Amino acid sequence: MLQDAFEALKTYDYGTDRHVLDPIDEAAVTTLNDPAARAELESRLLEVLQSSAPRDARDYVCRQLRTIGSAASVPALEELLADPDLSHMARYALERIPEPQAGLALERQLRKLNDPLKIGVISSLATRGQGVRLLRPLLHDADEAVARSAAIALGRIGSIEASKALGAANPAPALVMVFADASLSCAENLRRTGHAKEAKATYQRLLKRNPPELIRLAAERGLKTCQAG
Amino acid sequence: MEEKRLSRVAWRTSRRQFIKATGLASAAIALPTLIPASALGRGGAVAPSERIRVGGIGLGNQGGSDFGGFLGSADVQYVAVCDVRKNVRDGKKAQVDEHYHSKDCVAYNDFRELLAREDIDAVHVATPDHWHALVVTEACRRGKDVFCQKPETLTLREGPLMIEYARRYGRVVSGGSQRVLEDYRGTVDMCWGGKLGQVLSINVITNNLSHACNLAPEPVPEGFDWEMWLGPAPWAPYNSKRCDGNFSTVDNSWRSYWDYSGGEITDWGAHHFGGATFAVDVRELQPQEIIYHAPEGQNRAYLEFIYPNGIRITHCKPGKANMEVDSDEHQTRAPKPVPGYKGKGSIIGDFLYCVRSREKPFRDIELAVNTVSLCHLGTIAYRLQRSLKWDAAKQTFPGDAEANRFTDRARRQPWQL
Repeated sequence: MLQDAFEALKTYDYGTDRHVLDPIDEAAVTTLNDPAARAELESRLLEVLQSSAPRDARDYVCRQLRTIGSAASVPALEELLADPDLSHMARYALERIPEPQAGLALERQLRKLNDPLKIGVISSLATRGQGVRLLRPLLHDADEAVARSAAIALGRIGSIEASKALGAANPAPALVMVFADASLSCAENLRRTGHAKEAKATYQRLLKRNPPELIRLAAERGLKTCQAG
Repeated sequence: MEEKRLSRVAWRTSRRQFIKATGLASAAIALPTLIPASALGRGGAVAPSERIRVGGIGLGNQGGSDFGGFLGSADVQYVAVCDVRKNVRDGKKAQVDEHYHSKDCVAYNDFRELLAREDIDAVHVATPDHWHALVVTEACRRGKDVFCQKPETLTLREGPLMIEYARRYGRVVSGGSQRVLEDYRGTVDMCWGGKLGQVLSINVITNNLSHACNLAPEPVPEGFDWEMWLGPAPWAPYNSKRCDGNFSTVDNSWRSYWDYSGGEITDWGAHHFGGATFAVDVRELQPQEIIYHAPEGQNRAYLEFIYPNGIRITHCKPGKANMEVDSDEHQTRAPKPVPGYKGKGSIIGDFLYCVRSREKPFRDIELAVNTVSLCHLGTIAYRLQRSLKWDAAKQTFPGDAEANRFTDRARRQPWQL
């Protein structure tokens, strides 16, 4: 059954009966407590990922690697980050692989890629909560979309370092609200994680800049919460 | 107080600003013969300058229904429509214009352009689920109040983010399940009224989970922005069944497919679980444990959600009906007043009332998220075919790396949350 499913996967394309792959779906679940079987499954999936199988087949493999992928999958997935057709699905898997190799692969590709694939990688690094050092210079990237994305990512990471990076930045006029919103994200995260002092400093820094009304009200509210806590 | 002030500033535009914003200034001379008295605030109606200025995003099947509810409200001045299908947005614009005897409603393909308008106070959102979090957070960031259709999220991570944005910007954000109150009021009254004694558990029935979609490519219809429809979801070729907004969850609508929906467990689950959590009074909580039962001889597994206060919600427990309550009648429970809608009648009326009063609506986003997160937790347990523990405060499955992979999904560039 599983063998038949892998045979079908080689030519799997939009319009194929999806049920031909059910045995692979099932194996991805049932191998949880059988590391050898899971490694074998991963290896067979990677074989298809690195073949000339149709886009849909490789899309399917990435979806499975999201669930079972390990450090062994990282090199093949990293290679796909530069592929406009499959970059997103490579991230779909990489973003959820807990081993640090997955994050390092994203960091390596961040330096090489351009918008829009670069934005995808920025977003995945943020999900993993890493890359502040690499994201910081992107706040002043000539490509406004990249600078915007880096600000959102730092807001999502929400660490003290991320907050400082945003606070030190001088955004283009069109990005003022995005940067301020990201700083608010940082402040809220800092407050939640027991860094009230840093949260307060972030709110105060925002207020000093004479921000738009929505931001001012949000920062004032946040500041009050810090003081109450 | 500050939220109240801001909101008043937002909607109490002067008549002059109203004319400017709607582009009527040059046509003002023709107004007396074109606009009925009710639209000018006579006959007990709310004058346009005092109405809540509303836009709609995603106006197909359910969105079309919400559209009718908002447009029909005397408290609303409907000013903008947005849909990635030209025929849909043009049709809705025509309806708005006919309603007001004007040509002022503006139609948008891209929701960001609609949300950038400073004269809009509130939006209703009924896109497919994979868009909800992006649209709702952006709307809050732009200072809009939001009525978002259920299921409000596609992933666990999106829920807290939507709550965070609503609170950060002091927005009124309502979820969209009218059935929570309207369908299950009888059960809620019995539970809250103390007639059943101490409530122990309640059962919910929904059918299938969503699944992969592998439909063959079809030509994209003219006027359909397929890239924008997909948005943050994985790329896939157009197929009419893939994106149909009908209510089926069996292979012929976006509600059937994993990339856009959780399937019936979230689509109907938002209603049923919403009613169940209301009835047994755990709306403000999330479960701490999900037990996966696969009884021998049964062809279907079922779930048991355990709440921190000991209350249990089961899903598809054999022999139990939908919304069937188990209780201990020997233990007394003091009656509690049952909360309901504020304002005029419906869930939309409740939302509009709260836009003015700045109170939390009946289906405040936090309560809605608690319900839909319950649905997602169930989905993950079914997919992994095992029990799970859930840390609601940290929004993680403690010590469970495999389950934690399912808390979110990478979004297709350039979309980012």
